[in-house]
Amino acid sequence: MKKKFVCIICPNGCEIEVKYSEEEIEKISGNLCEKGLDYVKKELFSPERGLTSSVNLKNGLLPLVSVKTSKPIPKEKIFALMDEIADIEIEAPVKIGDIIVKDILGTGVDIIVTKNVDKRIHS
Amino acid sequence: MIKKEVDIAIIGGGPTGLSAAISARKEGIDNILLIERNENLGGILNQCIHEGFGIEIFEETLTGPEYMQRFIDKVEQLKIPYMLNSMVLDINKKKEIIVCSPEDLIKVKAKAVVLAMGCRERTRGNICIPGTRPSGVYTAGCAQNFINLKNYMVGKRVVVLGSGDIGLIMARRFKLEGAEVLAVVEILPYSSGLPRNVVQCLEDYDIPLYLKHTVVNVVGRKRVEGVIIAKVDERWRPVKGTEKKIKCDTLLLSVGLIPENELSKMAGISLDPITNGSRVTENLETNIKGIFACGNVLHVHDLVDYVTLEAELAGKSAAAFVKGELRNESNIKVTAGNGIRYVLPHLISGKNDVKFSLRVMCPDRNRKIVVKDGEKILTKIPKMRVNPSEMIQFNLKKEYLEDVKELRVELE
Amino acid sequence: MKRNSFDFIIIGGGVVGCAIARELSKYRVKTILLEKESDVAMGISGRNSGVVHAGFYMKPGSLKAETNILGHRMMPKICHELDVPYQEIGKLVVAKNEREIEHLYELKNNGDKNGTQGLRIIDREEIKKLEPEVEGIKALYSSTSAILDPFILNVALSENALQNGVRILLNTEVLSIKENSSFLVKTNKGEFRSEFVVNSAGLFSDKIAEMVGIDKYKIYPCRGEYHILDKNKRDIIRGMVYPVPPKELGGLGVHLTPTTDDNIFIGPSAEYIEEVDDTANTEQVMEKLYAEAKELLPKISKKDFIRSFAGVRPKLIKPTAKEPRDFVIEESIDSFINLIGIESPGLTSAPAIAEKVVEIIKKKKKLKNNRKFNPKRKAPVRFSKLSNQEKSELIKKNPNYGHIVCRCETVTRQEIIDALRNPLGSRNIYSVRKRCKATCGRCQGGFCTPKIVEIMEELHHPSIDDLTLKGNNSRLFIGRTKDLRKND
Repeated sequence: MKKKFVCIICPNGCEIEVKYSEEEIEKISGNLCEKGLDYVKKELFSPERGLTSSVNLKNGLLPLVSVKTSKPIPKEKIFALMDEIADIEIEAPVKIGDIIVKDILGTGVDIIVTKNVDKRIHS
Repeated sequence: MIKKEVDIAIIGGGPTGLSAAISARKEGIDNILLIERNENLGGILNQCIHEGFGIEIFEETLTGPEYMQRFIDKVEQLKIPYMLNSMVLDINKKKEIIVCSPEDLIKVKAKAVVLAMGCRERTRGNICIPGTRPSGVYTAGCAQNFINLKNYMVGKRVVVLGSGDIGLIMARRFKLEGAEVLAVVEILPYSSGLPRNVVQCLEDYDIPLYLKHTVVNVVGRKRVEGVIIAKVDERWRPVKGTEKKIKCDTLLLSVGLIPENELSKMAGISLDPITNGSRVTENLETNIKGIFACGNVLHVHDLVDYVTLEAELAGKSAAAFVKGELRNESNIKVTAGNGIRYVLPHLISGKNDVKFSLRVMCPDRNRKIVVKDGEKILTKIPKMRVNPSEMIQFNLKKEYLEDVKELRVELE
Repeated sequence: MKRNSFDFIIIGGGVVGCAIARELSKYRVKTILLEKESDVAMGISGRNSGVVHAGFYMKPGSLKAETNILGHRMMPKICHELDVPYQEIGKLVVAKNEREIEHLYELKNNGDKNGTQGLRIIDREEIKKLEPEVEGIKALYSSTSAILDPFILNVALSENALQNGVRILLNTEVLSIKENSSFLVKTNKGEFRSEFVVNSAGLFSDKIAEMVGIDKYKIYPCRGEYHILDKNKRDIIRGMVYPVPPKELGGLGVHLTPTTDDNIFIGPSAEYIEEVDDTANTEQVMEKLYAEAKELLPKISKKDFIRSFAGVRPKLIKPTAKEPRDFVIEESIDSFINLIGIESPGLTSAPAIAEKVVEIIKKKKKLKNNRKFNPKRKAPVRFSKLSNQEKSELIKKNPNYGHIVCRCETVTRQEIIDALRNPLGSRNIYSVRKRCKATCGRCQGGFCTPKIVEIMEELHHPSIDDLTLKGNNSRLFIGRTKDLRKND
């Protein structure tokens, strides 16, 4: 199989072409450095992404609070994870770094808060 | 009307204003006033919940709110005074500012001013998109505000016009929250966003990118029912017969950002028609002595880290001005030559090291940035890849700049 | 009298319908106005140049000329009573070549016959003195031509009518009208009975007339597109700048009209279309307008456009007609008054048309004066128009005035609240936009729409379906952020 990549590791943005099979790269060209090879390998065989989103927040100054995964997760798990957090509602106040779900979907990755939101004071 | 006298007034409490304030305080200026029109500090980064901020400055990738909080904490720690829900209505050459706040109208007399108002989104009206005017046409930033801060989903079948970074990031955002993104339409032959965003926002989710296309019609009386897209020719005019209808309920516009320089005009500051921002010296001073500009109000940036660094310089210059230490000797013109859209600063002194920022006209490979004085070549900086979406910065030591008459930056 | 029984039913909440409603509220009668949209001024009345014409275009002896001249005379007082922005900025009709000069004299003659005051033919030198940016060899100068805010006038007329006892129902569409001893008007909101019906349904007036068997009128919709210039370009002209009207009977030619909010309108075009409510902009016309405006004023660029829009003229003539057709203001059948084909100068003529309608009514029905009639309507504060001293005093009384929501038009939180608490009960983005100008500026609501929605929530706790751009079916949102992925 053949595929083209634009390496996004550094501003050089190498256009890399690879020939590959199920589990290994057979031929690679266009990359200026080893980082390009690593990037392509990762993208082909175990792509991961950091995921950011938001969850519902109760009694907060905002109705939502932004969250992220503590580490990148396997790309194919993104939608399952989005479905999982859609039903979550947490209670204000929250602070950057608060863990709201530990080891989500058995990935070993936590969902953590990325914004400070205070409690709403009812008037 | 309340009257106030301050050493430095900073207009705008986004990443630019905060960094300028912190830097001015570090230079020993106590009497600073930071003026922010929204209900909290942080500006647009509050709604930029995606990652990618801070790689240059903190050497880690942060979300917008996380990046911002570090600066807000610093402002609190340094006890820098700030006003929220407060908007500047007027400013003049004498650095007298009228601020409207829920407390009262406040007349601020400042020794120096840092302009940090940021930018706004280009609208449908600016680019003359034909069709009806139903609900469901949003600028990307407005939709981002609704989805990320206000808890409203603006649509479920979305077409994005413009492949700038905000458009790409919002395309992914819609997809993640369960909406369908049917197309990203770009009038240019290349995406105007960062390559990283093209890969991770579009390719990851199989969102089609239509290059050399534009939206030629919006359909639907009350709510968007669809858009017609078409190919464009070399002069960006739609080609008859290439129209294609896409049924959707939302048209998202990501068609460029414009520095918000309405206040600058009031103060008599001269603007660069290419950047739509002020003309500045190497100290980021405008033509009005003691008024400085930085961040997106000066020129639209792609990375907030660069905004922070630029704002630090502006804060430092404003502090030097207040202390009477700012030497203004910038009289060497800097101009953009072949292949360069713009270069900043506009004027240098030739007596200091200078950091230049520029953007190229078109994407290209294996080029050199050439700095010339007349026909004399001062330096050449090789670039593997250049792209209009990526701002290029380089430093030039003062040794290169001695006796320079006029600086010209070209792409070779 | 029964709850749904009235002396007068007015169909259509445009400027004509609302002017009639106010005129009738001077008498002790029971009047209801039915409007099918979510607010008044949703049709022709909210999509025009906002010009108070001095009366030199219209054919002498016509109803158009008569009501125009009268309306022009009445308008300053009405705008004063109702707190409507009105500016007598004057108009130049510019001849670009020798051939066009004779048309200037024709227009002046017309005006003199109609009784227009303050008309003068001026030469190039004086043109340059009045409008340094405008190119022309001679011009007709009309010093009494004026502009007003057509939205606010329409809103103010309706509010003043309401305040003097008229009922106004929005979102109420007339479905059929039955006639026996009185009229039974069936709507989506129930049935209403009335002795008289006034048909001021604008683009739909022919359809309403048909409901009582009058089929001799047909509306031919003729669309006019506009561009709106950023207010930072206001200074390029002083008053209105018009070309010599084209031979075709579509309109007055593409002109430049300042607004009372310091924008400039470029337009309108004139193009016959199929559907009366097709207010889309078209690529071809948008380009053409730009080119024509550029010819009048070389200094403008597309970058200065903040929005484009279109309105539709309710013409009674086909594109092939040789002669213009006059307004229809008549009692076509017993107690059924038709106002059809009220195109330009309809905005100017509206108060005079209203008086004419009451004249017709008075011939059949004795009207007793309403002694409690209050001609005054106070507009909510426009913060941006105040002095710094006034602003400061206001903020100290109410901090909501110190909180600016719309940055481009300097509209405060209190003004948004006032707009949302309007007496008609219209609560969407357009009703706010119309009343206090939030979202009308250069960012076109990109920054302030989320803030306005927040205020809507605080004031009225609307359901998501009720948060709309311009009423029914124009929903802003499809749900909450997480709704599409919720697992229930």
